[in-house]
Amino acid sequence: MSRMFGRRTGEQEQRDELLSAYLDGQLSAEEQARLEARLAADPALKAELDALRRTVALVRDLPPVPVPRNFILPQEAVRRQPVSARPQPAGRRRRAWAAPFLTAATAVSSLLFVVILAGDLLFAGARMGAFAPAPEAALEAEAPQAAMEPLPAAATVVVEAEAERAMPAPTTLPMPTEAPKAEPAEAPVEAIAEAPAEAAETLEEEPAEETGADASTAAPPAAGGAPIEEPPTPAATASPHKAAEVGVKAGEAADEAATEADSDRATADADRASEAEEGLALASQPLARRAISPWRIAEVILGLLTLGLGLVTVWAWRRAQRASTADGQSPPRHKRG
Amino acid sequence: MDEASLINAAQQGKVDAFNELVLAYQQQVYNLAYRIMGDPASADDVTQEAFISAFQSLPRFRGGSFKSYLMRITANGCYDELRRRKRRPTTSFEDFGEDMDEEANPALINGSEGPEKHAERREVAHMIQGGIETLPPDQRITLVLADVQGFSYQEIAEATNVSLGTVKSRLARARGKLRDYLRSQGELLPARYRL
Repeated sequence: MSRMFGRRTGEQEQRDELLSAYLDGQLSAEEQARLEARLAADPALKAELDALRRTVALVRDLPPVPVPRNFILPQEAVRRQPVSARPQPAGRRRRAWAAPFLTAATAVSSLLFVVILAGDLLFAGARMGAFAPAPEAALEAEAPQAAMEPLPAAATVVVEAEAERAMPAPTTLPMPTEAPKAEPAEAPVEAIAEAPAEAAETLEEEPAEETGADASTAAPPAAGGAPIEEPPTPAATASPHKAAEVGVKAGEAADEAATEADSDRATADADRASEAEEGLALASQPLARRAISPWRIAEVILGLLTLGLGLVTVWAWRRAQRASTADGQSPPRHKRG
Repeated sequence: MDEASLINAAQQGKVDAFNELVLAYQQQVYNLAYRIMGDPASADDVTQEAFISAFQSLPRFRGGSFKSYLMRITANGCYDELRRRKRRPTTSFEDFGEDMDEEANPALINGSEGPEKHAERREVAHMIQGGIETLPPDQRITLVLADVQGFSYQEIAEATNVSLGTVKSRLARARGKLRDYLRSQGELLPARYRL
């Protein structure tokens, strides 16, 4: 008996499919002719066909079952589903479609965000050249200090951090005097490379904040970047040219912070800082600004977009789930009478 | 009123108009549900829910065959109920009043058919129904739509939302399994019904 049903081979199923379609006249003329030729030659196959035909006939002959009662809808049962509830199915369908779509959109947006972020970091790395690990520690040590300063705007962070270093001119002036020795290029370079990265990370973590808030959170690392120029002091050269370069980088860092803050005052301040430098410094600065800000803008926009999409997606899935739960619930039941 | 006007009125929320459609189709809907579910109580529930659901989603109905629309809703209702039952198999089939067996309905006795033949037919119908209930839901619904309701492959494909090829293979498997089942019950079948 168990051989009869339960274990049916693929061959049997293929055969049954052919026979079943034949019974319904669903085979092409060519298939039908071929099967009829086989049936004429193969009594076993003919017997299978007959058994199948009789089975179908038995099912077709099943007597109709009389309805036990009328299934007319009571007025009040339908009234309980007001007109406002009726357009709902269409809405549900739309939401059911929206949830997967939004999921895909969120995925694409976050992927883009990661790509842009990676691109920014890679390009920043390429721009700045080799990384020196030591200043990183210095940055970490100094950054909190700058961050602790109770300041309202990024621009002031920069300014006051500089003021602490004690000098009339902004950021850059202390450098020639305090940091007079070799390999200085690497430290500021790292500082600048780190600052954008940190700023980007901060932005990534809190993309929902207003731009102003973003800028002020981004500012401390940038401000922290400027003071780093000091630690390499013992190894630094006295070369005024190098020192000037160092200063330029510091100016750039300050400038970045200013750009982030989008504050006129900050820009003016940073501009003053760079104006204090030689012409070559002025030449390189706009280049740096132009190279970095589009990335940053893209990161901020994509970050916000991803977060927004993510929230909407979660909301959409919740709605879809609720809708399907509601669907699954039985409509008002009526006592059989 | 013809069917189109009734549908139109029902789409406006007129329950009376819809109830005329209920009366016209309840026999077919109940039969489909009964053959798929295999017991009167479940068939009753599925039928009632199918009509309520059909009324509620009627504004979405965009022409075409109203019968197919109803059958699709009913088949879906059966499918959901079978899945639910599979998840929580609480009551056995025997618990659903055997004594309510509607094939025992005396009204079904064909005038030209003696009581013995009627009893025989009942027995066969009972066995076939038992065979249908051994089939998995997809195949069961396909077989009932095709061989009890007389739907075309195309109509079944639309009602169950699958391709023609899937209909073809589900139907073949269902028929093949039912044939094997009836063979296995061979000696219980009256001689003239044996395969």
